[in-house]
Amino acid sequence: MTATVAPPRRPTSATRPARRPRPTYRWSARGFALPAVLVVALLLYLPFVWTSYLSLTEYNGLGDPELVGLAKYSEMLTDAGFLNSLLNTVYWVVGTLVLPVGLGLLVAVLAYGLKGSFWYRLPFLLPYAISGVAVGVIWTFVLQTGGALDEALALLGVTDPPRWLLDAPLNTFVMIGAATWQGAGVNALLFTIGLQSIPREPLEAARLDGASGWTMFRTMTWPMLTPLTTVVVGLSIVGSLKQFDIIWAMTKGGPGVSSETLALTMYKETFVNNDYGLGAAVAVFLTVVTVAASVLYLRRQLSGAKEL
Amino acid sequence: MGAVTADRLRKTVLVVLGLAWLAPVYLMIVNAAKTNDQYGVLSVWSPAGLGGLWENAVAAWTRGDLSAGMASTGLYAVAAPAIAVVVGAAAGFAIVALRLRHGFAWFVVIFASTVFPMQMLLMPLFLGYVETGLYDTRTGMILVYTVISVPFAAFVMRNFFAGVAHQVFEAAVMDGASTWRIFWRIYLPMAGPALVAIFILQATLIWNDLLLGLTLTQSAETRPVMTALSALQSTYGGSTMPTVLAGGLIVSVPTVVLFLLAQRAFTRGLALGQY
Repeated sequence: MTATVAPPRRPTSATRPARRPRPTYRWSARGFALPAVLVVALLLYLPFVWTSYLSLTEYNGLGDPELVGLAKYSEMLTDAGFLNSLLNTVYWVVGTLVLPVGLGLLVAVLAYGLKGSFWYRLPFLLPYAISGVAVGVIWTFVLQTGGALDEALALLGVTDPPRWLLDAPLNTFVMIGAATWQGAGVNALLFTIGLQSIPREPLEAARLDGASGWTMFRTMTWPMLTPLTTVVVGLSIVGSLKQFDIIWAMTKGGPGVSSETLALTMYKETFVNNDYGLGAAVAVFLTVVTVAASVLYLRRQLSGAKEL
Repeated sequence: MGAVTADRLRKTVLVVLGLAWLAPVYLMIVNAAKTNDQYGVLSVWSPAGLGGLWENAVAAWTRGDLSAGMASTGLYAVAAPAIAVVVGAAAGFAIVALRLRHGFAWFVVIFASTVFPMQMLLMPLFLGYVETGLYDTRTGMILVYTVISVPFAAFVMRNFFAGVAHQVFEAAVMDGASTWRIFWRIYLPMAGPALVAIFILQATLIWNDLLLGLTLTQSAETRPVMTALSALQSTYGGSTMPTVLAGGLIVSVPTVVLFLLAQRAFTRGLALGQY
């Protein structure tokens, strides 16, 4: 403990070139970062570990979780309800890529450069400010049996309309429609930001060379939008995987489990059926898929941040 | 000439699509304003004045418990983002201005947590909240909403502070200011517009939340407004549909108004979040 001979010291800060911050700020830097790191660790990372653990157990919310290895995963993968939910989730991902992203791009391109383009985009943006539950309320009203859509169709002579919310997979498709109504506008806004950042000179040059309309879009605009498209596509995939509110408000995953997605299945297995182990297994599965999809755009976001 | 026709075509497509987009909003307003008698008789597409709007709104507000939900959510949507922007800005300040060791790694740790779906957190949050007595309390809801807002706040603020010359910090140090003072008196005020953009986006997100409310609350006093609306929809419906629609209208007004007033801040926030 009482060292008599001091060991040879590494050069002190006085002799080292001063490119590192002065040590005086080391503790204060930690102090400022601590609250954020602490809350994120306690309420986001710890639950993450806990759920992963629960997915290896049999647990009904009471008593103690009992370790069962991968049993819950094999139960999950052979469960018809889960496979149906997985299929619906695939519909959601693909549908969201085609509809809200495609329509968003269409609206952005059509409105770009028009006088008063903000006003042309506004109707599409408005639903974005409305919550998923309220969107669900509105569209349930439109699509319920004998609802607004059926009434409009009756005027056109369709007396036997499809049962929009009752038959699968139609109920999933119409809910993707509701999500499109909500989400297309924000994609249009993002694409507009992208269009505004494209330099004008090359476009002008191409125009002088006689390019116009579709050719112009395909050969000039679209390639220059690619970085932004990556972000929009990534956000849309992740958003569709997380979609809960609209489905909860319109069908609660029903009839039966016919319109459940993974996000719904996790919730219902856990909090309705009290099968925490199975719910956790579904959560882990959903997380793996979501993280894989997020890498697509996160990498770009973080590399963009690092350059700053 | 060709350009003029093309512009006209573009406008036509946009107007037709835009009207289709507004149709559901029209249906909601028109039918939220019908009395129960009118609703049973008239086509849902035809307007009938605003006779029933007040009555339906009152029914949703009182019998549907939206009043308590609005009060709780109002508190959550103001308190949580306000705390979160400061916590996030402090982290950004530590990483950029104070040059926290391994700052970028910590930044990734904080931000990467946003990729977990909420489903991964619900179960432990529920169990932990029951264990610690935070379940079904307003404190618990403010805490969880704050935490989910922190990563985005830290992300935007770190990027914002990265654009500030380090000389600003050094000059303040020369003047003898403490880091605490530099943060509160120089860095935070400078970041005003970014803070507002984060605040507005997160407040909207919290206002519209259903899932956390569903999982972590129970009583009408603590339940957030979207969870209350969802319950209202399950209880009413059918011939009392106007009440549910009026409820949907009430809870949408604050975010739509905020959005229209702060459209630029929204756009800025989105742009900040994407790049």
